[in-house]
Amino acid sequence: MDACSERMILYMHEYLDEDIPEDHKKILEHHLETCRACRQHFYELKKSIFYVQSLPNIQAPPGFASRVMDKLPKEKKRVGARR
Amino acid sequence: MEAIVNRKIKQVMKGDQNAFNDIVEIYKDKVFQICFRMIGSRAEAEDLAQETFIRAYVNIWSFKQERKFSSWLYRIATNLCIDRIRKKKPDFYLDAEISGTEGLTLYSTVPAEGKLPEMQVETLEMQEMIQREILKLPEKYRIIIVLKYIEELSLNEISEMLDIPLGTVKTRIHRGREALRKQLGKL
Repeated sequence: MDACSERMILYMHEYLDEDIPEDHKKILEHHLETCRACRQHFYELKKSIFYVQSLPNIQAPPGFASRVMDKLPKEKKRVGARR
Repeated sequence: MEAIVNRKIKQVMKGDQNAFNDIVEIYKDKVFQICFRMIGSRAEAEDLAQETFIRAYVNIWSFKQERKFSSWLYRIATNLCIDRIRKKKPDFYLDAEISGTEGLTLYSTVPAEGKLPEMQVETLEMQEMIQREILKLPEKYRIIIVLKYIEELSLNEISEMLDIPLGTVKTRIHRGREALRKQLGKL
């Protein structure tokens, strides 16, 4: 499984970063056609990314903004008015 | 969007506190999400997200308008998260698992009705599992995975925002992906 060269794994990451030189891409594509272990490795990388991206968007809890506003240091005017 | 935000910032700088409320409204979800995915607990994420906005308000004078405000703000958030992670005790992962589960249950977008119960559980379990794997990443990889795959920032933006060379960002995202692959890739 881990017998494949570091170089192919590096090319996979270049590909995933959308920053792969054309020659690296050709070498990688050709290699993936012939090497089952690397195909599996590449598939697992893509699957992991997919899982992370599939997490739902999370929203701040209700009332968040007003709680922040309450905690801001008060403006001088207001401090004066309160006294 | 940037133009509106920059106008609001000028108002805040002039002492208009209400203009800051609009800024909080615009960015609260993004900031909260970064904190939640970095920390795994809803309560702590709210605490950190609030602190992010308070610091932004207090230091607004130091924001340079030629920069992107969102990058400046997210940098504050990620710094606070990293400080928090480093201060945690060694039993952090156990805590994070429990509180992370609670947060995800409360905040899941899975509809409450109209779906098969088995499906819901399965989806939630998956979400919790994925979150746990993110929390297991060393923070310097975690932050880049979160910014890239959850906030969908480009590697260049991340490099600029964190003030780390692009090559280092790439090395870290590669290692982060390999670490995730070991767990998530087998599912």
